[in-house]
Amino acid sequence: MEKLLNEQVISQVKQAFAQMKEPVQMLLFASRENCEYCAETRQLLEELAAVDEKLGVTVYDLQDNADVAAQFNVDKAPTIVIAAKDGEQVVNYGIQYAGIPSGHEFGVLINDILLVSGRDSGLSEAVRDFLKHLEKPLHLQVFVTPT
Amino acid sequence: MLLAHQIAMENPAMIRAEGVEATEFPDLANQFNVRGVPQTVINAGSGSVVGAVPEPNLIAEIKRALN
Repeated sequence: MEKLLNEQVISQVKQAFAQMKEPVQMLLFASRENCEYCAETRQLLEELAAVDEKLGVTVYDLQDNADVAAQFNVDKAPTIVIAAKDGEQVVNYGIQYAGIPSGHEFGVLINDILLVSGRDSGLSEAVRDFLKHLEKPLHLQVFVTPT
Repeated sequence: MLLAHQIAMENPAMIRAEGVEATEFPDLANQFNVRGVPQTVINAGSGSVVGAVPEPNLIAEIKRALN
């Protein structure tokens, strides 16, 4: 199959991933039905994971692996969960992206991977304190369009 | 979107931050009246922020939506 990421992009990604500290696992939830971009998203993530050994990808099916999907609060495909990997343990950071990460969102995915790899949000102390003491669940949905 | 993801990692037991490609999920975008991107929808419409706003603005809207 033809590669989605050309050599120039791969070399830029490699450079960015040189900053990776701890391992990161991407979980892709795909679906056999009504998923125009699932196959392409899978190929994209597999090409990315091949760039650096600190980055891995696991592919799940939204229906067949309903238990895993529920565990990560995933309800649509394709959804990418960007999680931390500590030893054999996959640790959910509540970070998801629904859709194929193309254009600007490809850069965001790379930054998400670096963010999780660093294990540090970089937010101010006051904001961290507020978020750590939330009494109600918080669900943020950031809508974007391909550019 | 990165800011929302930074927020989630501080307390993943309570927070889920999801980027959504609006053209792939138009029903969801319509449900929340998404007009401009990026648009951040808080707790299924309790709050909403249009544009890439700085951290204090998003946190203020989150606080307002949670109250």
